[in-house]
Amino acid sequence: MTQLIWDGLFVGSFYALIALGYSMVYGIIKLLNFAHGDIYMLGAFIGFALLTSMGGIPASLSLGALLIVLLVSMLITGGAGVLIERLAYRPLRGAPRLAVLISAVGVSFSLEYGIAAIAGPNPRAYPIRLEGGVFEVLGARASLPQIVLMLIAAGLMVALNFYIQKTSTGRAMRSIALDSNASLLMGINVNAVITRTFFIGSALAGAAGVMAGAYYGKIDFLMGFIIGLKAFTAAVIGGIGNIKGAMLGGLVLGFVEAFGSQWFGGQWRDVFSFAVLILFLTLRPTGILGERVTERM
Amino acid sequence: MKTGTRKTVLLVIGAAMVLTTAGCGGGLLSSGASGAATPSGPVKLGMVVPISGSSAPTGAYMKNGAQLAVDEINKAGGVLKGRKLELMVEDEACDAQQAVASANKVVSAGVVVSVGGYCSGATLPTLPIFQKANIPMIIPAANSQDLVKQGLANVFLINGTGKQQSTTALAFMKKSGFTTVALVDDNTSYSKDITTETQAQIVADGSVKVLLNTSVTAGESDYSAVVRAIMAKNPALVYWTGYYQEGGLIINQLKKAGFTGKVMVADGSVDPSLPKIAGAGAEGVFATMTQTPDTIKGAERWIANYKAAFNADPGPYSTQSYDAVRLAAKAIEDAGSTKGADIIKALEAIDGFSMFSGPLKFTPEHTLSSGGFVILVIKDGKFILNALQP
Amino acid sequence: MSENVDATLAPQRLGPPRSPISRLLESRLIGWVALAAALLAPFVTASPYSLNVMTTAAIFVLLASGLNIVVGYCGLLDLGYIAFMAVGAYTAGIISKSFELPLLFTIPAVLVMTILAGLIIGAPTLRLRSDYLAIVTLGFGEITRITANNLSVTGGPSGIFGIPGLLKIGGLDVENPAVLYYLTVLVVSLFVLASARLGKSRLGRAWRFVREDEDAAEAMGIHTYKVKLLAYIFGAIWGGLGGVLFAAHLSAVSPQSFIFLQSALVLMAVVLGGMGNMRGVVIGALVISLLPELLRDFASNRYLVFGLLLVVVMVFRPQGFWPARGYERERATVDVDPPAVATEQGR
Repeated sequence: MTQLIWDGLFVGSFYALIALGYSMVYGIIKLLNFAHGDIYMLGAFIGFALLTSMGGIPASLSLGALLIVLLVSMLITGGAGVLIERLAYRPLRGAPRLAVLISAVGVSFSLEYGIAAIAGPNPRAYPIRLEGGVFEVLGARASLPQIVLMLIAAGLMVALNFYIQKTSTGRAMRSIALDSNASLLMGINVNAVITRTFFIGSALAGAAGVMAGAYYGKIDFLMGFIIGLKAFTAAVIGGIGNIKGAMLGGLVLGFVEAFGSQWFGGQWRDVFSFAVLILFLTLRPTGILGERVTERM
Repeated sequence: MKTGTRKTVLLVIGAAMVLTTAGCGGGLLSSGASGAATPSGPVKLGMVVPISGSSAPTGAYMKNGAQLAVDEINKAGGVLKGRKLELMVEDEACDAQQAVASANKVVSAGVVVSVGGYCSGATLPTLPIFQKANIPMIIPAANSQDLVKQGLANVFLINGTGKQQSTTALAFMKKSGFTTVALVDDNTSYSKDITTETQAQIVADGSVKVLLNTSVTAGESDYSAVVRAIMAKNPALVYWTGYYQEGGLIINQLKKAGFTGKVMVADGSVDPSLPKIAGAGAEGVFATMTQTPDTIKGAERWIANYKAAFNADPGPYSTQSYDAVRLAAKAIEDAGSTKGADIIKALEAIDGFSMFSGPLKFTPEHTLSSGGFVILVIKDGKFILNALQP
Repeated sequence: MSENVDATLAPQRLGPPRSPISRLLESRLIGWVALAAALLAPFVTASPYSLNVMTTAAIFVLLASGLNIVVGYCGLLDLGYIAFMAVGAYTAGIISKSFELPLLFTIPAVLVMTILAGLIIGAPTLRLRSDYLAIVTLGFGEITRITANNLSVTGGPSGIFGIPGLLKIGGLDVENPAVLYYLTVLVVSLFVLASARLGKSRLGRAWRFVREDEDAAEAMGIHTYKVKLLAYIFGAIWGGLGGVLFAAHLSAVSPQSFIFLQSALVLMAVVLGGMGNMRGVVIGALVISLLPELLRDFASNRYLVFGLLLVVVMVFRPQGFWPARGYERERATVDVDPPAVATEQGR
């Protein structure tokens, strides 16, 4: 039972990291960035390329090397996010929502099959592996890599929350989310803030990608598709547009899946989480922490 | 003016149609099957295997294996008094729709024997296409029981079936003293076939106990649910019957969770990538597999030829594909014609044809009389023949 | 096929089509020409391969014309459209196999099942915002596929195979690829025509109104929820019948044929062809299904190309590559050109 909770928590922290990017972008420009899951995949592949080019890394240095690779990958995926926004979403600001969504689907395909064309369609084994000691806590087995990864995830989330709540850019983001035209009138450079939002969201997803690669050890070009949907589900559960909600949603989804596959069998896991998504969207579209929104679309 | 434009359009299009109809005579009205090999031209063999998609590497191994046999036979003078063999490879991508399109393509090209078939789910819908064209199929890899159940006269399986693989697995469990086992599949046709068969045989046999029989969804990263389920039952052996991508992850995660039992994988997981993905957990993992060139004594020369021809190592199903082509050539030679019915008769009559899996004789079901499955084990990151065989 | 724009805003009356190409494409004749080409094609090439490819393409056209109702007319993004085809194909396959019935007789059951599926998916979700709807339909699509893969009544991962043919009357064996092809073309062209007509109907006008401005549509007395649900149900029927043809064509149905990629391909056909413009959609569907067969090199990278195309088309032509003319020009020219005169000048 404690094992179940621990596993749910661990998977949930991955979902939360990706859900954050979804939620930030959605909260600020009401865009469902369909390609967000593929940024996670991109991060995993960039990390793979970096680690491979560094050559053999002694096991003792693997954690340090991983942290450096993590930072570099975050910078690159963040930049990729900004580029995507500039090329595929910004020209469509003000266009029908359908057009932006289709453009996002197009970006998702381009990323997936672009990577498949460059790196080949076969799964790759990650060059370094996080191995480490195992603790028994209340009957649950937790390994050192799991704890390190969760600490990294938690650290990133806390930093993000501070950034949004305390800095001036964070205030600008929140004000654009409320009313972007009024923000513009108040002298906020809306485009610059949106660019930053994309950078941060994509960097977080990229970080999750590298961490998943190093922990699980296998990456492939379609790895972002399902997890992107799951992260969206997490964002919806928590209340889309709400940063704390995204974290909460990720953890809740992790639990829900862990319990769901326990009861129904692993082959029904995805059915279970999509059913939860649909239930939430129809019964409580604002999620657990979402504020009540009265706008109609 | 108005009608003028329309008339012109119609006329132009009509004329274009007539011209093309006259130009290439493959249409409904033209007589004679298009593309049928002329009695003196090359004898075409069709091979529908995955060239794209997640199983693409295996498709390449199969294609090369078949090509090697074609080249050797052609060097030795071809078949039917000097006619050359020609291999036509088309992609199935493990997808039914694409497999059907490709099967139709090779049938249209006038192939005489089909020597492809890797993914069972994609091979199944191609059976009626080859059957209608009365083209014998020598299937080198796909081995689902569903292929046999159709009872088609033109289908021959030269890979052991799921049933035979299960028999070997059970015999090994009994011989090595594994009394409790968990069966895990990935919910694909091929994989489910083996767990279902294994479960049935274990229940009938009675000396081993199945503690868990479950499925996972392919293509994910986190398999903690199935790992938890296995840990809760703590079986002596886990038999994974899916493909290597997920197999590697599950082995790795079992190891991380502190699983102390053994893991055995089925032939779909026998791939050089499995130990890489599984990491440290891979050592000592067993596999039920038909002989690969690496594990066959005296195959060094064959491996050298393969390397010389393709500048790559042979992989899973290279040998079966190689044998499929040789078998096709032999049957065509025996039949003395390229007619489907004659070749089928010749295939049924073959007795003792030497192949990598041993001397060949088909059962009435058109499967191998013995599956030829052996037990492999991972040592130093490579699959080698296990010392203990069932 | 006729225009799918309502008579009041018939595009060619707004002004002369500009280039000879668009004049050709917008002529009323193009539908008949396309049908004639489809009917004559087997006289050019009738190998099993080309018949197979053409039948597949025809079924794909049917799917695209069905999705066009949902996405093109009504503006609801459906990312799980292939689920309807799965429902149709599985229903037909299971019934015809267990009762040894020709597929044709399963059509009533298929209709019931697909309409039911349309209601189940549409009823709770159509009140959602459009982007939520996209994800929910995607979720439903995956649920359908995974369920088919897990249940034993659907044959599990192997699916159903050995499905009897569409129909067998005396000597006319519909399993013959050429006969099946003609039957498919006939059914498909009827349905393409029907969906073009639907777009022109009162309901079609309501759909486009909802797409352009839902609030205004509601204010004008359109029951938007009901209208959207109808779009969904029509889309589902088209998809379900596509599934019956699919089952007849492959004689096998397996979950692998209903992955998300397939939904995305149909969507691409609709978007690239021109949302709402039935002729554009037909051309888009033909291009997407035939191009990979014609260009093998292209086939390996097609998804990358399609993905980039989606972005490029959306950025430069947010209404689709070749949208229905009606609404594109109305804003600029509707009150400028005297319609009748323009027509005379144009031709």
